[in-house]
Amino acid sequence: MTFEIPKVSYSGKIKEIPLGRGENIITVGGESCYPFHLFEGAIPHPPKIAMEVYDKEPEDWPDTALEPFADVAGDPVAWARKCVDTYGAEMIALQLASTDPNAEDTPADEAAAITKKVSDAVDVPLIVFGTSNTDKDTEVLKAVCETCEGKNLIIGPLGEGNYRAIGATAIGYKHTVMASTPIDINLAKQLNILLGNLNVPDDKIIIDPTTGALGYGLEYCYSVIERIRTAALIQEDERLQFPIIANFAKEVWKTKEVKLSEPEAPLLGDQKKRGVLMEAMTAQCVLLAGADILVMRHPEAINLVKESIQDLMIKGEG
Amino acid sequence: MSKIICSAAIRGAHKIVGTAEAKYEGALKKWGPDQEIGFPNTTYYLPIIYGMLGIPVKTLADAKKVLDKCKKLLPEPVSDKVWLPYLAPALEAGMATFFAEEIIEAIRYLEDPDFYTKGEDPLPDNIWLGAADDVIMRKRGVEFVDGTAPGFAAILGAAPTKEIAAKIAIELQEKNLYVFMCGDHEGKTMSEQLIEAGVQIGWPTRLVSFGPSYMAAVFAIGFATRAAMSFGGVKPGDFAANLRYNKDRIFAFAMPLGTVTDEWYANAAGAINWGFPTIADTPIPQILPTGICTYEHVVSNIPHDQIVAKAIEVRGLKVSISKVDIPMSYGPAFEGERIRKDDLYFECGGGRTLGVELTVSKDMSEVEDGKIEMIGPDLDQVKEGDKLPFAMLIEVAGRQMQSDFEPILERQIHHLVNYVQGIMHIGQRNIMWIRVGKAAVEKGFLLKHLGTVMHAKYHQDFGGIVDKVQVKLYTDEEKVKEILELSKKVYKKRDERVEGMTDETEETYYSCTLCQSFAPSHVCIITPERVGMCGAYNWLDCKASFEINPTGPNQPIIKGECTEPVLGQWKGITDFVNKASRQKVEQVSAYSLMNFPMTACGCFECVATILPMCNGIMVVNRDFMGMTPCGMKFTTLAGMVGGGNQTPGFLGVSKHYICSKKFLLAEGGLKRVVWLPKMLKEELAERMKPICEEMGIPNFADMIADETVGTTEEEILPFLEEKGHPALTMDPLM
Ligand code: SF4
Ligand code: SF4
Repeated sequence: MTFEIPKVSYSGKIKEIPLGRGENIITVGGESCYPFHLFEGAIPHPPKIAMEVYDKEPEDWPDTALEPFADVAGDPVAWARKCVDTYGAEMIALQLASTDPNAEDTPADEAAAITKKVSDAVDVPLIVFGTSNTDKDTEVLKAVCETCEGKNLIIGPLGEGNYRAIGATAIGYKHTVMASTPIDINLAKQLNILLGNLNVPDDKIIIDPTTGALGYGLEYCYSVIERIRTAALIQEDERLQFPIIANFAKEVWKTKEVKLSEPEAPLLGDQKKRGVLMEAMTAQCVLLAGADILVMRHPEAINLVKESIQDLMIKGEG
Repeated sequence: MSKIICSAAIRGAHKIVGTAEAKYEGALKKWGPDQEIGFPNTTYYLPIIYGMLGIPVKTLADAKKVLDKCKKLLPEPVSDKVWLPYLAPALEAGMATFFAEEIIEAIRYLEDPDFYTKGEDPLPDNIWLGAADDVIMRKRGVEFVDGTAPGFAAILGAAPTKEIAAKIAIELQEKNLYVFMCGDHEGKTMSEQLIEAGVQIGWPTRLVSFGPSYMAAVFAIGFATRAAMSFGGVKPGDFAANLRYNKDRIFAFAMPLGTVTDEWYANAAGAINWGFPTIADTPIPQILPTGICTYEHVVSNIPHDQIVAKAIEVRGLKVSISKVDIPMSYGPAFEGERIRKDDLYFECGGGRTLGVELTVSKDMSEVEDGKIEMIGPDLDQVKEGDKLPFAMLIEVAGRQMQSDFEPILERQIHHLVNYVQGIMHIGQRNIMWIRVGKAAVEKGFLLKHLGTVMHAKYHQDFGGIVDKVQVKLYTDEEKVKEILELSKKVYKKRDERVEGMTDETEETYYSCTLCQSFAPSHVCIITPERVGMCGAYNWLDCKASFEINPTGPNQPIIKGECTEPVLGQWKGITDFVNKASRQKVEQVSAYSLMNFPMTACGCFECVATILPMCNGIMVVNRDFMGMTPCGMKFTTLAGMVGGGNQTPGFLGVSKHYICSKKFLLAEGGLKRVVWLPKMLKEELAERMKPICEEMGIPNFADMIADETVGTTEEEILPFLEEKGHPALTMDPLM
């Protein structure tokens, strides 16, 4: 008797979502099996990594994270270009962090202008994040939608409080949206239903299930992502069959394990290596849970994860 | 459909199509068939024609094709002899009318390019804006989709005076509606009236002067048609989807002010296709039965001071109130405030004076939204330390309202009133008690403001079921007594209704998946006789919650065939739980502890478990900290039951369910209960009585052991034997 690997039979498939525009479209999703279970189904589009760019020079980053971008940190356009030209970024994730009313409170039109410049400067798909402030995000992301008409940006987070306002604008100007819910499969499903009711097309929705950092509730996020995938693939939960984005870099790089210097915490070892590994490990976990797009910061962490994706995408004999 | 309207609409349509043909012939002679025509700056051509027929009209020759279709659509004029009592011919005539009018307007752009300003604002010498271009449509259309502007009023004609015109316009603005104006009545137009009255018009103020002719109505309908294509993903030519989108999402209506001509009727008939009803100020015939529109189709002879409210009601538009307009701060932060003796200015109820609060539902015609009446002296007429009798009667009406929801709404009064800074509210029904602090009175707080609060919050929180709210507040002793009497009748009816409701009488049960965020496979099944295990959700709550939030955690389940009446299993419930637990739970019994018990999340009020030696069941509530005869404290038990798992022998239950006739029916019901903490037994005493009577053991409560008897099975068994507890002789539990 020969040994047979038991196989899961899948009844669902993740929707394919084209991101960006023209010749530079990158498609995500399309899986018909669990992450990297290539022996059971197809993964037409391996997970992608979006590199973070910030709208204003970051103030609270550890030097270890800022170092690769020290020359471009105050200039989001140059920063984005560097990510693409130097580090070969597949996508850019612009964090409009300065729009936070508790930070600089950059006005919506200024944030939209910055986004426009960045979107003009790079050809890769552009993801744009607000700050999870319901009202301010509404203002900012609506302005971004209008200013960047036709670019098929990926904008978010859209939450319960502002999905209508931002969603409607995104429909009008043809952008893709990130439906964001606080680590809860039912809320994620409900928001997707609501977006559908609003008439956001199915090929313009990405799930943002909220992702924490390694050691900071990651196991919780992991199981929600895993459960969303299970529901989508084998429980025919049609409103969960969307690609998943994991926006964790900003969480990882604010943990104390990453910020403490070596003299402050000699037991924790080399500070840079620590940060890079924390980020890479977080990424690795959400990859295995089922994320399609990883929002990452440090080029070295990105390289580690890219390699890992390549390895995992090799189809074995089995 | 009214024959008068139908024949007038068809007559009007014939005239308009005739005009369009004449215009077309004239234009053809002058410019030839290849002449380009269209509305400015749009990719939707003539949008109604494009949306309905899928024909992109680019040239005069294209217009000809559409005119031919119009003629085919046009029904024969209605004669006195032949009369088809159907809406359909009038609707088709209305459709033909819009097609013809779009062609006429397109030719107008050709003949007189400066007839319309083509901008967002009126110019000093020309106030007519004409068709919205794509930039305006998208910017404004977003508001229609996200709900900041729920819809529009298409006003034809003019009001009797400029003051009335201004009043109507402002009222519509207050409801966030766009006002699309066209046509004249005896040479006057609403747009001009507004300018004369000093009201600023244009897209930015949402008062849009489309054109002087009634034909400019097509700009309004065209806007709606484009919105469906642009925001609804509706394909050109898919008229059914387009019309449905508009009916369901764009809260628009036609409001003819002045004499309704045949041509106006034709336009009104056309609008009905989109689900937009007509609300007229003149005594034209009405078309009340619903069918195409959500509610009535044509409602007439409405006085000007009521016309906006009526329109909103007929179109089914929800009122949105963003702020609770009172002189105090308002919010959950003030819920816990206490008003102590020294701070006290005024109080009512609470045994000090008569006091009652009541929410009842009424017919739509009996409630005037936002009306708040104070009958008797208010706080500005009392001295510090005064007390007065008090009654608050809240009357609500809504198309989705049911009298079953009254108690749910009424229950909110407590926390909603408590949210007012400087006010304390305790109790409910006729044991309510309100204290008003000195600081509140200094800021100008009046009892009347409680009405403002309830009006605003009912709309905000219960918009799904409530369309209209009016509040009457009484401090006049005689009146308060009247309301008190009324309330007693209402409470009696309500209580009877709840008691009369059994699992057998209802076909629909409800799910609750609120706790899945913590217990992923947990589903509560809530039946009339089994309250959710947290005690917070009963069947009626779930029913209302579903009306308010149809995609929320409480979903109706048709219970289907009953497969196990004693265990409490139904086909529909089994299927639902299976799906909602994502296949984790294959079967569930509503009435059993041993056999596929319901999963438990963790927030149950009590845990029930078996005591094998006593052949009975014990129940322990969360507040009881001590040891129990099963050998575990509540906290330990909770750890065993929770997490969304089925654990035969352990069950999360609400206090309420313990006294239900369906309580653990499969195991023998309340009769099986051998141990309860004393505090729980006392809390349930009143409700337990009738059940004990019915069991034929009136003193059954005395047979149940508690911690004063013992906290181990060995300790309580002799007690049970001595009392002759029925469980001892029942079938073995295991
Ligand atoms: S315990 Fe209460 S809130 Fe939780 S699922 Fe059951 S009914 Fe809903
Ligand atoms: S038990 Fe309470 S804390 Fe646990 S899930 Fe249910 S609601 Fe929440």
